[in-house]
Amino acid sequence: MSYPDVLFYVFAALAAVSALVVVFARNVVYAAFSLLFTFLGVAGIYVLLHADFLAVAQIMIYIGGILVLLIFGVMLTTRVTNVDLPGGVLKTMPATIVSGILLGTLLRLVTRASWFVEPELPSPEGTTAAIGDRLVTTHLLPFEVAGILLLVTIMGAALIARTNGRRRDA
Amino acid sequence: MPETISSSIANFRPELALALTFIAAMIMEFAARGKGRLTGAVVLAGFAVALALMPFSPAGPERIFSGMIALDPFSVFFKYFVIVTGIVIVLFSFQSQELRRDAPRIGEYFCFIAALTFGMTLMAGAANLLMIYIAIELVGISSYILAGFTKSVRRSSEAALKYVLYGAVSSGLMLYGMSLIFGLMGSLDLVRIHDVLARGHAITTGWSFATMMIGVVLILAGLGYKISAVPFHFWTPDVYEGAPITITAFLAVASKAAGFAVLIRFFTVMFFDMYTTANVRASFSGVNWNLVLAVLSVATMTVGNFIAVWQDNLKRMLAYSSIAHAGYLLMGVVVSSDSGIAAVLLYFIMYFFMNLGAFYVVMAVADKIGSEHIDDYRGFGKRAPTVGVGFAIFLISLTGLPPTGGFVGKLILFSAVVDSPFLWLAVVAVLNTVVSLYYYARVLRNMYLREPLDGDISPIRFRPAVVVTVVLFIIPNILFGLYFEPLVKWTQASVAMLLPGA
Repeated sequence: MSYPDVLFYVFAALAAVSALVVVFARNVVYAAFSLLFTFLGVAGIYVLLHADFLAVAQIMIYIGGILVLLIFGVMLTTRVTNVDLPGGVLKTMPATIVSGILLGTLLRLVTRASWFVEPELPSPEGTTAAIGDRLVTTHLLPFEVAGILLLVTIMGAALIARTNGRRRDA
Repeated sequence: MPETISSSIANFRPELALALTFIAAMIMEFAARGKGRLTGAVVLAGFAVALALMPFSPAGPERIFSGMIALDPFSVFFKYFVIVTGIVIVLFSFQSQELRRDAPRIGEYFCFIAALTFGMTLMAGAANLLMIYIAIELVGISSYILAGFTKSVRRSSEAALKYVLYGAVSSGLMLYGMSLIFGLMGSLDLVRIHDVLARGHAITTGWSFATMMIGVVLILAGLGYKISAVPFHFWTPDVYEGAPITITAFLAVASKAAGFAVLIRFFTVMFFDMYTTANVRASFSGVNWNLVLAVLSVATMTVGNFIAVWQDNLKRMLAYSSIAHAGYLLMGVVVSSDSGIAAVLLYFIMYFFMNLGAFYVVMAVADKIGSEHIDDYRGFGKRAPTVGVGFAIFLISLTGLPPTGGFVGKLILFSAVVDSPFLWLAVVAVLNTVVSLYYYARVLRNMYLREPLDGDISPIRFRPAVVVTVVLFIIPNILFGLYFEPLVKWTQASVAMLLPGA
């Protein structure tokens, strides 16, 4: 096994194990912290795939922004920190069978399908310049529309969260 | 790259006008707080400008923004449809009493209507999976907010929450499906994907093929959710019942049309062989997608119609009836020939008049008597003659009986299906129509043959504006039931789509 391969398995294991903790942790705070390692592992895999811009964005946005907010949210909501999440009470057997079949199928797909292979790898100098170039040329429209989409989302969040001054319940 | 960004923008003026309308409405909302109706006027003006710009944007077929958007008669049709529906909904919103309770925030409501309309025009033209996804998200998020707009009403908040949860799951599934397709094809461009498939690559066999199947089925789940096809319809009744009725009407008409635009483009461009001469476009990539869609269509119309029979809330009944109509419309996609798609477009025109009319009456009545329950419609025909006759005509049109527009829509749609090998599908659809007659007629019976429960037979007086609006919707329902030649011509000219090799 070459050096990058070892690194890949390390990051993959980090992401997978911490993702399991996120799902199975009974304490919301543990789950939130564990998510940090999932994001980190995924960022590591991005680096190994030459997607350096994506890796940095992953760390800055997901770990630096979203996750910190999430943990703050969890901690500030005092009631949540010690609540046991309901787990295992749902129909375990059918869920296990369905998930097992799904996992088996997807694993087979991933390993057997003849995936499209990009003829040339991105240059090791980095992808940031190329991404920047695409965002204002070929992908201009989706980029701009995504801007409007985010604007709508922010306005909507404000609209939903704001109290009206006077509340009526119907 | 034959087209440049500046030439793309020049061909993109109506959409640009809508985007600017959204921005202008937002600025208006900041500048003149509490004068929400002014924002509504800005949105209305913006829609009018976009509509006025439509004839000046070329109908192609060509690709703009590096193939992200297709300009073709097909997308032009849906853009007209969406913008006109948007205008009607804004006008409805001005009249709605339901929204008046949230009057201080009404300005934002109009902003989201603008964003929603913009998103739907993008859906009409999107020819790249990335663009399709972003357009659907823009439409989705705007609609979640609008469904929960009357947040002081419990069921409206509930509707919004359910809508978000279902929407998040289905868009997650769709995104996963798109990633599988991208992984196999190395492209998100529908036309390029078609080319890869047509080359009969290794993709059409073995596990790669299975992967593609799963990818397409997942994307179908996302699109099926948008058009509320069974089994992705569970959100529809709750959202339609809980949302403000103007938004329900918007979702049932324009959002569904935009969803169909994407669905038709997706399957026609990617999977159907353009050069078959029969009355049905066969899919060439090993799967009989026609049959898959046919099963979906039968399930959708049957479930929609049979559950509608049990509904006592008219908004909920119309929700199930709109699911059933999605089933009928899917038949046109099954056939997917030019005549099939033209029939879908024509059906949408009729659906616009009959469904918006029906929702409008339900809204006007709810504003007046505060109820959407079927029992409160007892004796309605006598208490409010003009509006009652209007409602009766809309319901007859929804059933598809002559001499209404709904009959013509169904006739042309069914005959397109009869001409294809899917004759059995038309038989199922006709049987379904019979079922639908039962629940539409139930409302009619309550309106004309039954006395009100509380014995109150005093006339219900509607404002003149309401009566005029109802009459304005009656006219096309009857007119297009008798004289529909120009509409048929227009829809037949609108099926031309940007196809591979063009």
